[in-house]
Amino acid sequence: MRKLFLGLVFVVALLITGSAFAQDFPTIPEGETVTIRFYSYNLGNATFGPGTEQLIAEFMELNPNVIVEGVAVPAGEMTARVQADIAAGTPPDVAQLIFDATDFIVNNFAAVPLESIVPAEELAAHFEGFSPNGLRLGQLNDQTYGLAFTFSTPVLFYNADVLRAAGLDPENPPTTWEEVKEASLTITETTDFEGVHIAGLGGFDWLTQSLINSNGGSVMNDDRTEIAFGSEEAIGAISMWQDLVLSGAHTRLTDGEAVETMFTGQLGFYLQTSALHFGMSNAAEGAGWELRAAPMPQFGDLPTVPVNSGSALFILSDDPARQRASWEFLKFVTSERGYTIITSQMGYLTLRPSIVEEPEYLQAWAEENPYIFVNLEQLTRLEPWASYPGPNWRQIETILLEAVQTAVTSEGDVATIMTDAATRAQALMP
Amino acid sequence: MTTTARRPQYLSHALLLTLSFLAIFPIYWMIITSVRPEREIYSPAPIPGEVSFENYERAWNAIPMARMLGNTIATAVSQTIFQLTTSVLAAYAFARWRFPGRNILYALFALTWLVPFQAIMIPNYVLLTQLGWRDTLFALIVPNIGSAFAVLLLFQSFKAFPLELIDAARIDGAGSWGILWRVVFPNLRASIASLGVLLFISSWNDYFWPLLVTSRPENSTVQIGLQAFMSSDMNLWGPLMAAATLASLPILVMYLLLQRQVIDSFVKSGLR
Repeated sequence: MRKLFLGLVFVVALLITGSAFAQDFPTIPEGETVTIRFYSYNLGNATFGPGTEQLIAEFMELNPNVIVEGVAVPAGEMTARVQADIAAGTPPDVAQLIFDATDFIVNNFAAVPLESIVPAEELAAHFEGFSPNGLRLGQLNDQTYGLAFTFSTPVLFYNADVLRAAGLDPENPPTTWEEVKEASLTITETTDFEGVHIAGLGGFDWLTQSLINSNGGSVMNDDRTEIAFGSEEAIGAISMWQDLVLSGAHTRLTDGEAVETMFTGQLGFYLQTSALHFGMSNAAEGAGWELRAAPMPQFGDLPTVPVNSGSALFILSDDPARQRASWEFLKFVTSERGYTIITSQMGYLTLRPSIVEEPEYLQAWAEENPYIFVNLEQLTRLEPWASYPGPNWRQIETILLEAVQTAVTSEGDVATIMTDAATRAQALMP
Repeated sequence: MTTTARRPQYLSHALLLTLSFLAIFPIYWMIITSVRPEREIYSPAPIPGEVSFENYERAWNAIPMARMLGNTIATAVSQTIFQLTTSVLAAYAFARWRFPGRNILYALFALTWLVPFQAIMIPNYVLLTQLGWRDTLFALIVPNIGSAFAVLLLFQSFKAFPLELIDAARIDGAGSWGILWRVVFPNLRASIASLGVLLFISSWNDYFWPLLVTSRPENSTVQIGLQAFMSSDMNLWGPLMAAATLASLPILVMYLLLQRQVIDSFVKSGLR
């Protein structure tokens, strides 16, 4: 009886909550048109722009009462532009923002948690089929602020021809960092090609986080109060990287130089976001070498813990009608059809893994682009890109990147460099 | 001519040739990269094996190049004219008029030059938004119609202008307006022209302000268009170089038209 009563209370509470949400989150009335402004760094880009434009065009065709005004803002200037618009009282309704700024976006851009506007059943229905790890990427404090839009995991691209020239077997690429070192040294010693390059020396720290996490460490503790990249595990991960460089297995190039070396077929292995696959396969075709991709190598027996690169879509509008239109847009771009366009036209990962087996979506494409399976397999162990709290988040990320650069481009003591960086970063934490 | 006299001449020619090569080579490389087919884009060969204009086609189709070039020309020309006009008037007043607070006002002008753009960016942006000028040419031009740098530079030239000539003109009955435009301006034309070139190039290359105040590519400038071929992970070098070649053509034409004035100005300031 008590159970029945509690059950009834639960159902009534759910109905009340549901109806309250439904009232607060109106649909767009028939005959009315809502215009939303969408800031995207993929728009306007010659490689990723057409796919994004297709997403907008197909959405507007299906939703004639919503007009999406796409605004191209380069990734590096996005935060400044949104800040300026917030100051001017005209924030964009939807913005494509990079995951490392999630904490800042939530606390300074008044990003709207989806749970606060979308009825629970509607949200749950849309999230069906999402990778649980992928869904976590845009969550903070148990609230979903962003839906992963264009994101990816680190993969080990390799040039099968370079491996053959060095007498290595392209069917069995290295799976651990020890094997990467050995294979790269074989390449540099027996051929004129370069060995390996890990693309994490500048820009963003997601790849550095991938390495540190994969060695059992993390860049912050679980409650996000203590910087942890001075830990033994972090030092171990960066020491491995330094050892690759000092041994001659790793290039002494910048990330920019390394990508061009890879494109011209002069580099054996290149750890980078799988989003580069499109550009890389075009370059391989043009320069006449065979491109392949393998999972990110692991530290000994430890399974890798990849961290994602990329961005999520955040709703920044405070107007209920534009919030509804924005949510409809988010729903479409993260639908089966939306991710089919994102993956096949732009090279990013889908948050809905099952669509690679569905003929109406990505099945045929996935058969032609098997690298997607490497990515999807890594999705099962994915950890969200840690976003440092407080207004100094970017400085903390820069401190980590500069420490890694110093460590891997010198013979300096990695422990000293990393603990010093962690101490300086800790002082910037709120 | 003796051998000892010839040797330094050879050396100076060799030095000048080297410097010319260093100046011209990047432009040459930009142009040949723009006509290389995709498969040859990373080739180190100084002459392309095959000439292709596909990069120009891709660049032209990927961004509204004609509109962007038009906006950039309109912005750069307007800004240069406005900045030259306001700086000639201000510099003349500071150099030749005595009025209360002149030094303080001049110091304030000088100080504004030192204020970083990022510090005034948000207030300017908010004001433009309130005026409804976002995504228009007004937003690109109006906030930049005055230049403290130009005032400071012209102030020095105006101050060095012989007072006797100004006094003579005044005795002949010329007012301040007449003295400025009929006596001072024609004599300082070379300095003003070289400043014009600098202002034009600076306006042409402006990136961050147009990025902030424009939303649609067709209302933006060509420097923003170049961004379409760049990303944090890789660049599309062929179309990027094609777009950059197109973007630098007007600057090159302008320099060719005004090079005599520019060289005159450098020679004069060197002799002074």
